[in-house]
Amino acid sequence: MSSPKKVTTEPHVTKEELIASGSWVKLEKTTYVDPSGSTRTWETAKRTTRVANSAADGVGIIALLKRTLHKDCVVMVKQFRPPLGCNVLEFPAGLIDENESAEAAALRELKEETGYKGEVVGITPVTCLDPGLSNCTTQIVMVHINGDDCANINPTQQLEFVEVVLLPLDEFQQKIDVLLQKEKIIVDSKVYIYAMGMSQAFFKPRELPVLKQ
Amino acid sequence: MEFEESGIGEECGVFGCVAAGEWPTQLEVAQVLTLGLVALQHRGQESAGIVTSNGANPPTYTTLKGMGLVNTAFKQEDLLKLRNVNLGIGHTRYSTTGISELQNCQPFVVDTLHGKIAVAHNGELVNASALRKKVMRHGVGLSTSSDSELITQLLALTPPMEELDTPDWVARIKNLMTETPTSYSLLVMYKDVIYAVRDPYGNRPLSIGRLVPISKLHSSGAGEADTEGWVVSSESCSFQSIGAKYYREVQPGEIVQISKNGLKTLSVVPRPEGDPPAFCIFEYVYFARPDSIFEGQMVYTVRKRCGRELAIEAPTDADVVSTVPESATPAALGYAQQSGLPYVEVLCKNRYVGRTFIQPNTRLRQLGVAKKFGALTDNFAGKRVVLIDDSIVRGNTISPIIKLLKEAGATEVHIRVASPPIRFPCYMGINIPTKEELIANKPEFQDIASYIGATSVRYLSVEGLLSAVQRGIESHGKDERISSSTKTTRYGHCTACLTGKYPVELEW
Repeated sequence: MSSPKKVTTEPHVTKEELIASGSWVKLEKTTYVDPSGSTRTWETAKRTTRVANSAADGVGIIALLKRTLHKDCVVMVKQFRPPLGCNVLEFPAGLIDENESAEAAALRELKEETGYKGEVVGITPVTCLDPGLSNCTTQIVMVHINGDDCANINPTQQLEFVEVVLLPLDEFQQKIDVLLQKEKIIVDSKVYIYAMGMSQAFFKPRELPVLKQ
Repeated sequence: MEFEESGIGEECGVFGCVAAGEWPTQLEVAQVLTLGLVALQHRGQESAGIVTSNGANPPTYTTLKGMGLVNTAFKQEDLLKLRNVNLGIGHTRYSTTGISELQNCQPFVVDTLHGKIAVAHNGELVNASALRKKVMRHGVGLSTSSDSELITQLLALTPPMEELDTPDWVARIKNLMTETPTSYSLLVMYKDVIYAVRDPYGNRPLSIGRLVPISKLHSSGAGEADTEGWVVSSESCSFQSIGAKYYREVQPGEIVQISKNGLKTLSVVPRPEGDPPAFCIFEYVYFARPDSIFEGQMVYTVRKRCGRELAIEAPTDADVVSTVPESATPAALGYAQQSGLPYVEVLCKNRYVGRTFIQPNTRLRQLGVAKKFGALTDNFAGKRVVLIDDSIVRGNTISPIIKLLKEAGATEVHIRVASPPIRFPCYMGINIPTKEELIANKPEFQDIASYIGATSVRYLSVEGLLSAVQRGIESHGKDERISSSTKTTRYGHCTACLTGKYPVELEW
């Protein structure tokens, strides 16, 4: 006699109820059916700015400044982030405007936040930022900046509270750690994970990342 | 061309780089050093070495040395492993006498009372043997036969007035300069600076360049704030390929401190009793790359002027002018332009045949030369040819070439040499054969034309050469950066191998 088959359902959302809304962010109560078939709720934060025909809310930019006979440098920004109450080191980023492609948004945000003019060399699929909290999505756009072009030498950016930080790619993680020791900042997880990946690539291609030295 | 053939060489090239601005720098200093040495490859193919530093106190030096050309001397993975390189010096070595061992390869690193120094040297000390004895009498042991080690040890000696914990590098270098008058172009790396030194006679060359962003390299808009680094090199031909603008030469006797903040002239050691400078004239005639700049003029232009002078001094009734490829080409073009004769190519060079090295006998050596060239018969068959060469030293490389041309149909072969005959040895770094081997000293020289099989042979006169060289030299008075003490005798060239007049008293 075979044991009774466990009942499983495809989890899905059944209702979304607005609880509160601000100019930029809103809070919803999400009712959903879990894999066992039970109905549950979740508190979800969402942006009010999501554009209808855009795949993602925004873009993040991993830009490499390339100059002849110089180390490739990652372009980052440091700014005060109210939700954390301190400075945060992150990749340049921004929301996608109406009728704008992700690539175009990336180049525009990069120019606004850092002053650099770049070229898109790659793009990730739509990825989520903080799935337990919100539905925010982003596409990370890989950009190369031709540092030999005169437009990209000592560029000026308009935003006075955003500081541009350049760190060489080949010691990215080490340089971030140095920065963490010197200043009271929090590093965005995408930045730190990218830095760890670079360390592996440059120094320990065959080592397992979990092995402690 | 005989210099190339017989392996008569210039002893070495030196190159250094200091990154400007904040350290650790984003400039790839090790790559700049490597590219700089590649551009100086013509000054030495036997081995190459670089010493890189993080410029800290105390500094961490990393040395990479290897035999052969720069491309093969350094391993890619060793270059990639270099971290925090903010400054460095490099050297390409020419094969001289003795064993070519890695330990003889420069730059040398030596520990002194005040820390490590690294030294790269181009030249040969005229009083090396006397100096060696002196140094060893001081209790210093030497482990190689090279002058460069001698220099390094001399720099490590404590000068009399120096205080216990303050190194006085100006005094140390000046001390070296009083111990030996010539010849040396030196790079001394210490902590976070490079001292660029040229002997008081300026016998070997040394130039400084300024690294700027690539887009500003050819415009005039590269201001002081754009400086990404400083480079110093035996020849300026390296600058273009690394994105540096030619800045100026290191003056004879000058000690320049190159740091991340820029250049500083620490001292200019004068020559005794107002002796004129003695820049090796053969740098112009043969050794330097045609695109290098000395004394404000391009080497190519000087060689061309030599050709013109030669056409004025030794005109020929002939049909075409040609060259022994490639070093004599500028002179040949100058001769053709001055004489009005058409310039044609008569020889095709096989660039994969190396120098005909020390062959056991003359016959084999001559065969080697024949392998290197082919005759472009169509261009000169039935014609009278004027063939320009930049040098004839022993005479056995030009004879097979003349034979080749005659057999291919040249009715007459007139040799015109764009430099005067070499009669005397050089003690400043060019390993010219012994006096007896030089063709100009042989009785055959009286009728050199029939000795080598040519219809006629004429050399450029010493006056002609000096005139061609000195005509284009910029007045040093225009250079405000140098102190007035050097303005007394503006320029002078060593012609010892041509005239027997040596710039300094030689000690035996």
